Order: sequence, then C-alpha cells, then structure tokens
Amino acid sequence: MANNKIYWSGLDELEGTEAYQSVQGQEFPESQSVDEFISDERHSSSTTGRRDFLKFMGFSLTAATLAACETPVIKSIPYVNKPEDVTPGVANYYASTYYDGFDYANILVKTREGRPIFVKGNKASGKAKANTRVIGSVMGLYDSARLQGPMKGNDVVSWADLDAAVAASADEGRTVVLSNTVLSPSLNKAIDTLGAEHVQYDAVSHNALRAAQSSFGVDAVPSYDFSKAEVVVSIAADFLGSFLTSDYDADYSSLRNPEGDKHSKHFQFESTMSLTGTNADVRTMVSPSEEGKVAAGILSVLNSGSVSGLEEGVANAVKSAAAALKAASGRSIIVAGSNDDDIQTIVAAINQKLGNYGSTIDLSNPSLAYQGDDAAVASLVADMNAGKVSTLIIHGCNPAYDLPNAGEFISGLAKVKTSVCTNGLADETASRCTYIAPDHHYLEGWNDLSLNAGKIDIAQPAIQPLFDTRSAGSSILTWAGAEQTDWYSYIRTNYNGSYTSANMYSDVNWNRAVHDGTFTIDAASQAPDYSATVNVASALQNVAKRSGGAMQLSTYVKGAMGVGNHVANPILQETPDPVSKITWDNYVTMSRSDMENLGLNTYLGQADAASVVKVTSNGVSVELPAFMQPGQKQGTISIALGYGRGANGENIGKAAYQTGENGETLSLESGLPMPIGANAFPFTSGANYDVQVEKIGAEYSLASTQMHGTAMGRDSVVKETTLAAFLSEADKPKGEASWNKAPGLNVHEDVNHDGVIDSRDKKSTNAFDLWHSHAVEEVGHRWGMSIDLTKCTGCSACVTACHIENNVPVVGKDEVLRHRDMHWMRIDRYYSSDYSLEKGAEEGVGVISSYAKMEDPSVNPQTVHMPMMCQHCNHAPCETVCPVAATTHSNEGLNQMTYNRCIGTRYCANNCPYKVRRFNWFNYKGHGKFQNFNPAADSLTRLVLNPDVTVRARGVMEKCSMCVQRIQEGKLDAKKANSAIKDGAISTACAESCPANAITFGDLNDKASQVRTISENNRSYHALEEIGVKPNIFYMTKVRNVDTH
Amino acid sequence: MQRESAIREPLILGHKTYKDITDDVVGPISGPAPLGWKILITISSIIALYGVGEILYLLGTGIGVWGLNKTVGWAWDITNFVWWVGIGHAGTLISAVLLLFRQKWRMAINRSAEAMTIFAVIMAAVFPGIHMGRIWLAYWVFPLPNQFGSLWVNFNSPLLWDVFAISTYFSVSLVFWYIGLIPDFATIRDRMVKPLPKKIYSILSFGWSGRAKHWTRFEEVSLVLAGIATPLVFSVHSIVSMDFATSVIPGWHTTIFPPYFVSGAVFSGFAMVQTLMLIMRKAFKLEAYIHVKHVEYMNIVIIVTGSIVGVAYLTELFISWYSGVEYESYAFINRFSGPYSVAYWTMMTCNVISPQLFWFKKIRRSLIATFILSIVVNIGMWFERYVIIVTSLHRDYLPSSWGEFIPTSTDIGIFIGTLGIFSTLFLMFTRFFPVLALNELKTILKSSGESYKNEQAK
Repeated sequence: MANNKIYWSGLDELEGTEAYQSVQGQEFPESQSVDEFISDERHSSSTTGRRDFLKFMGFSLTAATLAACETPVIKSIPYVNKPEDVTPGVANYYASTYYDGFDYANILVKTREGRPIFVKGNKASGKAKANTRVIGSVMGLYDSARLQGPMKGNDVVSWADLDAAVAASADEGRTVVLSNTVLSPSLNKAIDTLGAEHVQYDAVSHNALRAAQSSFGVDAVPSYDFSKAEVVVSIAADFLGSFLTSDYDADYSSLRNPEGDKHSKHFQFESTMSLTGTNADVRTMVSPSEEGKVAAGILSVLNSGSVSGLEEGVANAVKSAAAALKAASGRSIIVAGSNDDDIQTIVAAINQKLGNYGSTIDLSNPSLAYQGDDAAVASLVADMNAGKVSTLIIHGCNPAYDLPNAGEFISGLAKVKTSVCTNGLADETASRCTYIAPDHHYLEGWNDLSLNAGKIDIAQPAIQPLFDTRSAGSSILTWAGAEQTDWYSYIRTNYNGSYTSANMYSDVNWNRAVHDGTFTIDAASQAPDYSATVNVASALQNVAKRSGGAMQLSTYVKGAMGVGNHVANPILQETPDPVSKITWDNYVTMSRSDMENLGLNTYLGQADAASVVKVTSNGVSVELPAFMQPGQKQGTISIALGYGRGANGENIGKAAYQTGENGETLSLESGLPMPIGANAFPFTSGANYDVQVEKIGAEYSLASTQMHGTAMGRDSVVKETTLAAFLSEADKPKGEASWNKAPGLNVHEDVNHDGVIDSRDKKSTNAFDLWHSHAVEEVGHRWGMSIDLTKCTGCSACVTACHIENNVPVVGKDEVLRHRDMHWMRIDRYYSSDYSLEKGAEEGVGVISSYAKMEDPSVNPQTVHMPMMCQHCNHAPCETVCPVAATTHSNEGLNQMTYNRCIGTRYCANNCPYKVRRFNWFNYKGHGKFQNFNPAADSLTRLVLNPDVTVRARGVMEKCSMCVQRIQEGKLDAKKANSAIKDGAISTACAESCPANAITFGDLNDKASQVRTISENNRSYHALEEIGVKPNIFYMTKVRNVDTH
Repeated sequence: MQRESAIREPLILGHKTYKDITDDVVGPISGPAPLGWKILITISSIIALYGVGEILYLLGTGIGVWGLNKTVGWAWDITNFVWWVGIGHAGTLISAVLLLFRQKWRMAINRSAEAMTIFAVIMAAVFPGIHMGRIWLAYWVFPLPNQFGSLWVNFNSPLLWDVFAISTYFSVSLVFWYIGLIPDFATIRDRMVKPLPKKIYSILSFGWSGRAKHWTRFEEVSLVLAGIATPLVFSVHSIVSMDFATSVIPGWHTTIFPPYFVSGAVFSGFAMVQTLMLIMRKAFKLEAYIHVKHVEYMNIVIIVTGSIVGVAYLTELFISWYSGVEYESYAFINRFSGPYSVAYWTMMTCNVISPQLFWFKKIRRSLIATFILSIVVNIGMWFERYVIIVTSLHRDYLPSSWGEFIPTSTDIGIFIGTLGIFSTLFLMFTRFFPVLALNELKTILKSSGESYKNEQAK
C-alpha cells in the first residue's frame, strides 16, 4: 500500500553503515573538537589572512555593537499550544462575586491572556453595579506585598507543618473562629465542621439597625428598595457612598428622573457633608447628638405632635420632611446611619407608621450581611486577655486594626497559644499571629456567597493562584480533619450531594450558575410581623436627653477608601474623595467658623498647608490636619475611618505609606514608615458628643485635585433648575426653556425684526464658524456621550474605572499637590455660593468684591457633581494649535491624541477650555519618585495594565480617548458579525461603570440611539456652549426637587 | 558731504580724528584683557554653566522639574521666551528702521544693539526648545520631507509660525550684523600685529579692501537688508503674540495683541540697550560717541512705546468690561485683584508709570536715572508676559480647574542661567568685536562731530 512506502535519507541509511548507526538518534551530529579543527592542515591554505580576519572581526564587532544600540528587546513567549479559550488580543469575561466584609457586588472579571485586568458590575446577575472600591480591587491581586506562602512569624513554613500545628492546637483547649460576617454557606458549614465557636464582627457595626428590626421578629439588616422610595429621608446615612453594602445608587437614581412620572425628594440630616448629602434636595445640618431628636421629631409630627429640642430651621426641615413622608406613605424610606439603638428604634417605628415595611423595606428576605455581634467580640477579647482561648482562627478581618479596642485585642492575642490568620497580607492582625495561612485573592479562588437567602452567587477564579496560597475554606477543613479538603469540590458537594469528578462537566445547573455568577435556590423566607408594636418610649426619652459639648465628632467612611481594605491600592488612594476632592489623605472636616475661631488655615494650596489639630474624645486622641468642609455643621467635626493602616510598619503594600517629594517612604521618629492618616476606629466605641479640638501648631499639606469650590456664577458650565421650574416649561423645545437657554451672540443686524439693533439681537453660536466643518454630522459614526447631572451622584466609580481601563498613571500625593493628577476623567464638584453678581449689584457691592465673595461656598451649600472629560469638540481648540498635528479629529467625531507624534509643547492643554488634557511630566514608570505607587513601575503590579492601551512616554500629552480601544473592538465585532453596530454594544469604561446610569455612550449619527435621543432632549446642553467648540458630550440640566411635595 | 544744522546737538563729542575713532574702538581689542572684564566673564560664565546644568537636569528628568501643572502649562518658560524675543527687537529696529529713516545717531549704538539682538534671540530660542516634552523630536516642527508617511506640520498652529518667524528673524539679523562688521573687521585686521589674530580677522573680513566698489556694494546690501529686516521687526512679535491671540483662553484671545506686543518689544529692547550701553560707554571710555543725546533719543523711543503699551493695557481692561463676556471680564478682574495681583501692579508700575518720568528733561538726560529706569522697564516687561501667561491660564473657564503656579528652583535657575549665557556672549563680543560701527561713525565725524560742527558754525 502507498502508505507503506519507505523513504531513505541516503544510501547510508539504506545500507545501514556503521557511520550512520553512530549518528542515528542524535539530533545534532557531534561537533568537531577545537583541537581537531585547528590541527586541520587545510586551514594553512585558507585564503583568509590575519588582516582579513581582523577586518571581519572588526566589522562583526561594530555590527554587533550597533545592533545593541537598539531599544532592548523584551521577548515574549508565545503559547506552544493555544489554550482553548484564550485568543491573544481577545478578552474573556468571567462572572464572579466580590465580598470583603464591607462591600458586596456581582462582578464580571475581564481577563486578557489569562490576566484579570478589569472588574465591572455584572448586570446579568444582580441589580448592583460595582462601586469605586470594587472596581479598584483588581489591583490587590498584583500587590507585591502579598504573602507568597504560609508563614510562621517571619519564617516560611510548609503547609503540612502549619496544618499539623494548627490541627494539634485546635484539638486541645478552646478554639474560636473570629471572622467578618461570613456570607458563604459553604464556609459556614466548614466552620461548623471544625466544631469551634464562631464569632463574627463587622468593621462598621450595624448592630443597632439589626436590633431595631427585632421588634418585627427578624434579626437582620433590612433590604431597602430605593426604586420605590419617592421620598427619602436619611439621618446621617451615606447610603450612596458607604451605607450597608451600598448598592442603592441605581435604584435611587431611577427616581431622579424629571421626565418620568415620579421624581423623588430627598431630605438629608447630617453633620458632615456626605456624598449622599451632596445629592439631597434638602440638606439640613444637625450635630450627632441631634440626630435622635430629628427622628423623634419626625415621628412626633407623624403622630400630629410637635418638634422639640431643635433650633427653628432644623425643626422646619423636620416638619417638611415628615409632611413629605406622610404624603408618600408606603412609598418612602427613612434611614439612619448611626449605630445607636434609640435612633434606629425610632426610625423603625417611623417606617412602620408609614407602612414602608413590606413595600420599600423588606424583612422577609433581608440582607444577610452585617451579622457581626459587638458583644460577642467584646467578651472574646476579654477571654483572650484572661488566657481562656488557646486557638484563635482569624478569617477575613483585621481586628488588630479596626476594633475600637484593638489595643486590648492585641494584648489578648499575645496570650492565645496558637493563633492563625488567613489574611493574604501580613497586616496588623496577621503579623501578630503565630501562623499565617494566606487565603487566595478573591480573583484566584472559588467561593459561594449569599447576600440574600434564596440567591447564591458564585465567585470563580479568573487566574491560577499566583502564589502558594490556599482557600481559607480549605484550610479550615484541613484543620478540622475533614476528608474532603478541596474547596471547589466541597462547594459543589454542598449544593449537589451527588457531585463526583466524573460528572464535573455534565452538571448543567452548576455550569450555568458559574456562567451567570449566580443561581437561586428555594429558601424559607422570614416571616416578619410588621404590625408588632415598636416600643419607642424609652428611646424617645433617651434621645431627648442628649446634648453635646462645644464640639462633637462623627466618623464616616470615604467613597474611595472604604474601611481600610484598599489602603495599599494606589488607584483608590488617588481617586479623589467625591466630596472634598482630597487624595491620599485623612483629615478632620470642620466648619469655616470653627476653624477661624481656632485660628486654623482655611485656604489650601501648594504652599498653603493645612493646620494640624489634636482631637480628643473619651480618652482617645489623634492628630490630623483640619479641612474646611462647606456644609459641616458648626460645632461638629468628622473623621474618616479606614486610614492609619500599618501603624507598626507592617508590610501591607508600598502604597500604604506616605511618600515624600522624591518618592521616598517617609519615616516616623521611631524609624517606622509613616502611615497615611490616623486610625479613627477607636472613636467608634461609643458616642462622641463632647470632644476637644486643639490647634497644635504643626502644618501638613493636603493634596486636592480641585482647589476652587464654587462655579463663580458661570451658568453655562453647570445648568440647574428646580423641579417646579422644570415642569412649568417641560414641553418647550430644546434651547428655549428658561433653565436651558441656548446661548446667542450679539450681532449688528436686526435679528428679531423689531426695527432696532440692540442687545436683544442675538444669533445662535451655531451660526458662526471660522473654518470648514469637519464632515462628521450624519456621515458614518459620530461617537458621543450624554451625562445626566440629575442622576450623577458623584460616586467616582467612573473615575476609578477610567483610571484602570486606560492605564492612567498614578502620580502620588506630592504630584497631586502640584496639581498634576493625571485623571482623564474627573468629577468637578461645585458648591453653591450665597453671593452672586446680581446680589452684589442689589447691595451696591462692586463687581470685584462680589467675585471675591462668590469664591466662598455657602455654609450649607447645594452641590453639583459634574463628570468632566475630553469633550471631543468638533471644533477643537487643541487641534488647531498643535504644531505637529499630533492631535487631530477622526472622521468619527473623536478628538484623537497621537502619542507618537506628540513633541510636548502643551499648547493644546493651555488652549483647552475644559482643562482635560494631561501631560506626562516625568517618566512615571521609570522615575524613582513613582516607584512606590505607580502600577507600571512594579514588575508584578504592571500585570494589571490594559494591553490595549499604550503606557504613555515622558513628555507627551494624553487625555480621554472615549475608550477608542473599545470602540475599535466593537466595530470589529460588528464587522465580523456582518451587521451594523447595535446601540449599546459599545460602552466606555465610565458609562459602563456608572451605577446611576447617568452616562450614556453611543453613536450620535444613529438616529435611533439612546444618546441621540437624549441629545435632543430639552434638558441637554453643551458645557461652555457659547464659545462654539461644538463638543460631542452633552450634559443634562440638573433638576433639584426643592419646591414640590 | 552731508551737512547738518548747527543747532542740532553733535553726535560725537570733543575733537576726534578718524584715527582717534579707530584707536578708541580697536584699542581694547588689541590690548590685554582688563581685570574688570576677567572678573565679569568669570562670574557670568559660572552663572551660565549653572544654567546649562539646570537645563541638562530638566532634559534628563522631565518638564516636571518645573512648577507647571495641569492648569498652567506654560509659565516661566514662555515668559522668558517672549521676554528675550522682545529684547531682541531693538537691534534690528535700530539698524534697519533707523537706517531707512536716516537717523545717524543710531551709528553709535547699532553694532552692540544688534549683537544684543542676536544673543537675545539665541536665548529666546532656548526656551521653545527646552519647554518641549520631547526635545529630541524638535525637528518635527520643521516641514521636512520625512519617512513618517504623509506626516506634515500643522500650518494652522501659531507655534509653527513662530518657528518660521524666529528663524527668519534670526538669520536676517545675523547677516545684517555681519555685513556691517566686515569693514570694521578689516580695520582690525589691518591694525593687528600678531599673526594669529591677524589671520582670524582677515578671514572674518572676507577680503575687504576698502575700495569704492566694496563700499558701494556694502551700502547697497545694507539698504536691501534693511528693507528685508524692517517688516520682520513687526512680524516677529506679531506672530509671537498670535500664540496667545489665536487661542480661546480669556486674556489671550485679544486682537490688540500684535501691535501691543511689537511696541512692548521695542520698549523692552530699547531699555536693554540702555542698560548695556550705559555700562559699556563707561567701561570702554566711549563717552564721546555714546552720550546724553543718544540716551535721550532712546528715552524718547521708550516714552512713545511705553505709552503705547500703557494705552494697550487700558484698552484691554476697557474691552474686557465693554465686551460683556463674563470670562473675559473676570480674567482681567482676576489680574488686578486675584492671587497674582502683585505681578499685575508690578507690571503697571514699571511699564506704564515709570517711563512717564522721561517726560522730565532732567530725568531723560540723567544717565543714572536712565540706567535704573531701563532695568525697571525690563522687570516690568518680564512681569507683563508673566501676567499674560500665568494669570490667564490659572483661572480660565472651569472654576474646578483653577489652580496656582509656583516656580521651582529649576524655573528660576534656568532663567538666571540664560542671563549668564547672554552676559557671557556679550562680554565675548565686547572683547573681540568692534563695539562701535567705527567705519560708519567716520562718515558722520565731519558732519556731526562737535569740533567740526562748531567750526562750520563759525
């Protein structure tokens, strides 16, 4: 048969000679030895003489040297066998779940070539979108401070030794598992297997909120449905920023919709300006000791009583809030942020009275989060100190940092015979434990999580574990001596008892659950008794008695930083606080008058540092810089939690410590690295109604991305109106309503045909054109965006998402202080001012003094958040001035920046009216100043960079590209599918991450697209429309509901 | 021979002969270097080296070593650039425009004024170069045929016009200056004894023989070059001003800029000529050639241009109010009342008020007062550019982006360094070049020399 033909390589093989036999099987023939070569006589007759040899050598050497002058070539090794699902250049997405004890989110993990590089909310598996902290969490995977294996003290141990020691210890004496609220049914089961006590606590305790629900027979924090809440009253609850698992933005924003049937009304009572407070329609400043009286007042008004114990302005606000709540009974929510039993009980009573339970507030399927038990932790700490605990297993929490009595915990921990911690970093707690059994990063391991009974969310690994870490569940099973210790198998067996490795791939239900990231199960719902009597008598008495000293303190949680889990995350550190716009720092927020009384500096600048104050309450004191926060109630101060990590120099990541002007880590007097800010958790042990604040004379620079607070009366930047004013002209065509008038320029012709030429003769800015239009309208695509200022809450998820998606450099505090933050996308925050030019004219104050007064925000200002990025002007001022045409207009309406062509004159940035262009002042990836925090400067952290986006070189300009890499990908996908691009198929990082759906991206030339529809809405306008740069970004006039209900 | 009215003040004082002129100018070149010169050049070269060091640090590290930021993208760099270009205006104005207007008094000052122009333009050219983020790609601003495909420069950009304007101005000024030097080099060559200097000056003098043919050509070329250079005097600073005028930034977007910048440039150029000349006449004992009358003439130019500048400032202010544009009006209110108001009022005092003192004849003819005021004017003109650039940028359209600019030691170091480089070059010039156009001066000796005029009067 033809197949049996034999081919020979030569006669030698056919004949099987000895020479052939000797070389057969050797891949390479044996090389000739040097001696043999030299002794070969034929060389003596070679034509290559000595001189020729030298010439050749000289040439080769020169050639090699010249070739070496090229930029170094970094070889990448291609796959030998292509993994089935990995196509280089094509991203894979995996559904997963994020939970760190504080935040919870259903997420999609974007991986490229096997590396997770981006996290976003998974709309398919839950309503929640990822908040700033969750989006930023992908950085944690590549933290070079992560433990690379099990540790005993500072020594590396093997898993076997660690397991043997812990298991042996767990068999003797009393074993306790201390953790954050465990939401994993499998982990709970595993802990049960261990047969140990399980104590849970939460960094920010919600015991009071939970306790208040006990009247209804349920011990859980309720599920709130803000999408039905037409009236929202919040007493110091920052539900848009950090309250509970804070996934209320989408629901809340769905009712911030002036065109819709319903537009919600939001009252906020608080002492400091929270993110939620900035969004309130009516914000009233109350001190922490008055919060209870506000709640009591509302309850009293609802019961036709009166408001007592509050000053008149607050009392009036309480009355109108109560009236609004009453009018929206069953369609409202009142929440309180305080962990105070009395306040939460009164709030529960109000909600019950309004009939909100069962409609907007659900206890039958409550949140399972925040099950922490403060009393149990307190008794555990006491037991530890008494030497009654022999083995302590700590999982997912950092009690040595975030317990109010962390000092006692630390001393108790030393008395525990064997302590083991599963944290992935040698943090405050882990570094003090006998053993560290590092858990996987959440992107590396399997988990099941259940925020509400009946719904299980799956966390699946998006990458092989980078280091020798092990799932905490697996560790606990090992220590329990369980037979099955493989965590993945355990989770699957937990839900499907018949799971075997043979049916691994045939279990359709499980595979679908992994694909979706979630599945539902039948679970018994709670049966709350909403009609039970809530006993508020003692609570009312208690709150009425409360009074504060000269100064009261409240603690809060910052939008970007959370409770300190992300302290070494440079991108989150550099994400400006949504309210104060300060990066990289913790501070005491104070009112202007209090600061002036204490003689503190209220003006912050490059050379104007903040004054440091010492705050003392209940015997605890911290020293922090003071920051003038408009909207801060006089006589109150606030400090954010989550700072002051690593006070003992723990290795929790390079970015967790302060760096100096040259990027060096700053040291304390003790020689330890200097933590960022101060730990405010010790203040959370009780109320801080009487605190001392003293100036200590020191100064400290705070780095803010926005120096100036007010909009200076420039109403073409931010347009806003009230709901009543909006409704009265809701039907007017675009550009004609009084709250969104199209700007016109005066011309010397009788435009309005009234016979005279005067200031009323205006022509639209569109009528003026200096040059030929770019052919973008109605030709091909024209990418554009609309941003609804009514919906935008300012949460800054877009800022973080943009930062990660586009490899935006992290530049550190010193550079931010020099106004050199690199954010492509920022959120401008404007406070209202009491003053205006009109008011100045009325009062006879000159323009100059009026402007000076307009720089000061009101004492309790209204706030607008305005996301600002490159406006992709169709008549871009930047494009005309670049001498080398490095920034040009694409035929799809994009203002594109060609980094390769840029020579760095910065003329474009100067000429940008929106100041969105960012210059690479240094070689951020190589310069020593940025080594401690810039992701591109660290060989591990670098892996988080998006391979679709160039890391920019020193000396070039950069700015928002409207995620051109995503547009390109979308276009290619559509091309492959041979179809037009569907509206919504392409989204930018900011639009996609916006929890409030305030940002819409799309093709303005697509008449059916959402963005086109919005752009034609009568609320939409261009920022600075009158200068005629014709942006492709539209803003929607902000509507504030101050005058209805 | 040309005759001049006897009542005109003579341009050359005392009794000078042709030989005296040659001796006075060539003497310092052929003699040994005086101690004062050695001290000065040591100091200025140390400052120059420091500046070079700072520039190298800047180029090696990045623009971040300056105090610029996301809001203020230009500050000292472009301020210095415009300032130096402005100073570089006087030379060509004196040699070209005054030549066309047959102002003979220019002959005493044109040589060093032109030298100052050349050196100032070199200093100016440093800044657009080093202010680039990637100076190693600076050649991309030239419309060179290239291997980058169809990439070409952007002819819409005023920065590109700058490249052409400055380079043209520099080349024409240099040629003009050199042409004027040729007969003087020949005179030095003839006087030199040592072989090497003789050789060098003979090369520099291009074989000038003083024949009538040479003189004719010399006159013709000078006239042609003056014709070419005159429009350049006006174009260069007009174009520099368009860097600002064509932008959208309130405070920059102003049609008044071209004439305002040109007069400002002449103003500061003349002030710098005064500063240098007053030192030089003393050091080189040139009191007979550069005397009070010359100073007075230049002070008159300073009054005129200073007043134009003053009117321009007031016009800007008026228009900012009259236009009714809130951004424009705020930009100017912020200038005089905002965080940088000190710079504004320094500018106003130095540029508007101080030159008005020259209306007093006593001050106009006082060398000390002139010297002080000439320095004051240049301080004022530096602040004018600083005010225009920094105060316009630091608070433009969006209040969210308002910021501040604080210079770093590198900002300051490079500016001072350019002063050092400039002084070094100028000192070298005074040592090796004829500081007066001696052969031209000889042409007016008989008509405007004091002793001769007086004789004629008799």
